[in-house]
Amino acid sequence: MMPIWTKSGKKHAVTLLKVQDCHVLKYISKEESGAKTSKLLVGGKNGSPFFKSESAMEIFKEAGVPRKQKVTTFNVTDDALVKPGTPLYAAHFRPGQFVDVTAKTIGKGFQGVMKRWGFKGQPASHGQTKTHRRPGAISTNKAAKVYRGKKMPGKMGNIYRTALGLKVWRINTKHDIIYVNGSVPGHTNCLVKVKDSKLATYKDCNKNPPFPTFFADGDEELPEDLYDEEVFQFTDPSVTYA
Amino acid sequence: RACSDGKPAKFQPPPKPVIIDKQKQREERRFLSPEFIPPRGRTDPLKFYIERKDMIQRRKVFNIPEFYVGHVLAVTTADPHANGKTNRFVGICIQRGGKGLGATFVLRNVIEDQGVEICYELYSPRIQAIEVLKLEKRLDDNLMYLRDALPEYSTFDVNMKPVSRLHHEDIPVNKLQVRMKPKPWSKRWERPKYNVKGIKFELPEEKMKEAQKWSQPWLEFDMLREYDTSKIEEKIWKEVSEELKK
Repeated sequence: MMPIWTKSGKKHAVTLLKVQDCHVLKYISKEESGAKTSKLLVGGKNGSPFFKSESAMEIFKEAGVPRKQKVTTFNVTDDALVKPGTPLYAAHFRPGQFVDVTAKTIGKGFQGVMKRWGFKGQPASHGQTKTHRRPGAISTNKAAKVYRGKKMPGKMGNIYRTALGLKVWRINTKHDIIYVNGSVPGHTNCLVKVKDSKLATYKDCNKNPPFPTFFADGDEELPEDLYDEEVFQFTDPSVTYA
Repeated sequence: RACSDGKPAKFQPPPKPVIIDKQKQREERRFLSPEFIPPRGRTDPLKFYIERKDMIQRRKVFNIPEFYVGHVLAVTTADPHANGKTNRFVGICIQRGGKGLGATFVLRNVIEDQGVEICYELYSPRIQAIEVLKLEKRLDDNLMYLRDALPEYSTFDVNMKPVSRLHHEDIPVNKLQVRMKPKPWSKRWERPKYNVKGIKFELPEEKMKEAQKWSQPWLEFDMLREYDTSKIEEKIWKEVSEELKK
């Protein structure tokens, strides 16, 4: 995570996400999957081809791509389909866009009710016998049962969570890095899924994104760094208030 | 003197004196700002490389002078609510923290009997100028104990003129021992954990001995805590100096 300053002098914290060897693996049509939109399977970081069954390796062989450590599905409309085997780059996103980031949260193991659900616990003194971090009462008398989904101690973390509506401040096309506002679930160097935001307020925020995706061997040549309009670039002189 | 030929010898001028410039002979002092050294962790070195590029880019546009804890600095920042839109603060640097672009330094001064500490970010675009007014290192890396010292040790004149300094001398170390206000202090500075050398403790001997009970002499032998930065520093220093010369 890094600080980034806007032209007005305000500081924002930014997470760096690297797009490492992403390829489109497979196209699943609407009829095959039975869903409303067709899907594209996308694979992430490269991994070793050994220690995996033949059936799992079939998808990678058909696409002609080394084995990927993470495979996710994206629901895609028919006009935005991409041929399996095309590499995906960070320039697929543009600064000023809003993005949702999904990842597995840091696993905390078996945790008690105070850490897991934020219960208040009991006082440390004034006669409490062996009860300082316990949940207390779990149901009422009339219910005569404990409801399903009651908050109790258990394994915490290591589940998929999404951070919604994160702004993209800057994109580095040379190293394929996306600078995303705020924090992102997951530990450092974990695998993460980045999607266009589903929030209604940011529906019209994408002005001319690369459609269907950014092709590296295409005609347009992008500069090494793409900045949002409000971002203070370090080549400029210091900020002054006129 | 007649030579073998009988003719007068050709005038040979005396050999030119060789001037050994001792100043140039002394090695160029290398100073790598501490925020360039990456902390120990599992982050990708690519992240530090990209941060360093940004830091170097900022240093090319705006000059960040070499300074240590104990120097007296004057910092002018852009302030939308001030007259003339700039704000000048003079103070002694008591602490340098943070790594990478978020590196900070804290300046302390006592203005009209009120102690003021301001934490500035080195790479913030609102800073217009940093001037080093007085160069002197102190015995410690962290001068937070000045908060509990007598206020005369933290007062510096706001209109102080910069003290001139020769470029080839080492930075002088001020071995000043600071006198403290009566206890209680904000932190127990006599304890070995803080390793403070710049205070003149006027506490009785028993208190000093009792403070040594909290010493952890095994810490200096702990091999897992070792972080040898010499090779990393050299590599980074070469990279940074080459980029800045361009």
